Amino acid sequence: MHKELEHKFVTELENNQNIVHKVCTLYTNNRDAHNDLFQEITIQLWKAYPKFRGESKFSTWMYRVALNTAITLYRKNKRSIPTQDYESVIFKIQADEYDATEEQQLRLMYNAVRQLGDIDKALIFLYLEDKDYTEIAETLGITEVNVRVKMNRIKTRLKTILNP
Amino acid sequence: MIDELELLKKDWQKKGGQHPKLSYDEIYKMLWKKSSSIVKWILIISILELILPNLVYLSPSIREDIFIKGAEDFNNYYLAIMAIYYIVVIYFISLFYMRYKEISVLENAKNLMAQIIRVRTTVKYYIIFCLSMSLVFVAYYALGIYFNDEVLLSIEGIPEKVKEVPFEKIRAAALWILIIGGIVITAIAACIYFLLYGLLLRKLKKNYNELQQLDL
Repeated sequence: MHKELEHKFVTELENNQNIVHKVCTLYTNNRDAHNDLFQEITIQLWKAYPKFRGESKFSTWMYRVALNTAITLYRKNKRSIPTQDYESVIFKIQADEYDATEEQQLRLMYNAVRQLGDIDKALIFLYLEDKDYTEIAETLGITEVNVRVKMNRIKTRLKTILNP
Repeated sequence: MIDELELLKKDWQKKGGQHPKLSYDEIYKMLWKKSSSIVKWILIISILELILPNLVYLSPSIREDIFIKGAEDFNNYYLAIMAIYYIVVIYFISLFYMRYKEISVLENAKNLMAQIIRVRTTVKYYIIFCLSMSLVFVAYYALGIYFNDEVLLSIEGIPEKVKEVPFEKIRAAALWILIIGGIVITAIAACIYFLLYGLLLRKLKKNYNELQQLDL
């Protein structure tokens, strides 16, 4: 029975691991930290898995656990050895296919998002994942109105970071 | 700005799977790794905090010194204070356990933070209680020394000293040493504790306040 549960969980996570990778990308600065956070999220997901009743999709359920881990539970020092931002490395390699201004713009945007606080990052993450305001509100525990207010503030903040 | 965010969103959704995929086995191995979450640290630190103040009372050398011959009233009141102390300790430990069990990663971010802060607050009150009790014991001993000669004579080395120095002088010195020493040690313990507490929860509190302020 336990083995069956393990198998089911690992398969589900393997299929949906992108979500966790994206959270790690947003909240960490290098590959080691990324893998470390991935591991912590996996542990938290696994601990909570017996309570997952399949009322929502596994992926929907993952968003909450992954974000909670990144924002609240994870405590490793993020100021680890400053290495080159690997996300932008990946980005640069791929960027040849793009138009140069768009590439430049995107890189600036990614860097700006990285400078945001933990909560702001969570909002932007859910927004980028195309979640509606109701779901963002439920995940963070604030009202929908406040999600709107906060989103507007983040947009202003991003604007300031991009045009200092 | 909105255009740029839309651009980012499109790109984000397109390149979502760019991180090297982990295999089934790699993920499976992670299930057995130890968590390094803040909740685990809070549990370890809190258990230490719950146990340590009591270890001091349980050490045999202190236990022998607790009851003083010829000072029955002093001993009885002491027992009463200890009984109250342990009742409150048991109350705090059960409260801590219940609140700890409530922590759930499935809550929304704000509730999860609130649950963690509640557990820490329980331990904080417990520590404040222990520190206050240490001052109560200091005060109790000070009163004992002041009113009861037996209490003063029970302190190691005092009976020999009495032969050389006037009794009242010794009493005054013992009182001052006890009161100042007690307060200084309690203050140092308080500083260490609140520093640790502050460092551990600094990030969490900042995020919690950010969410909290939105709803004001």
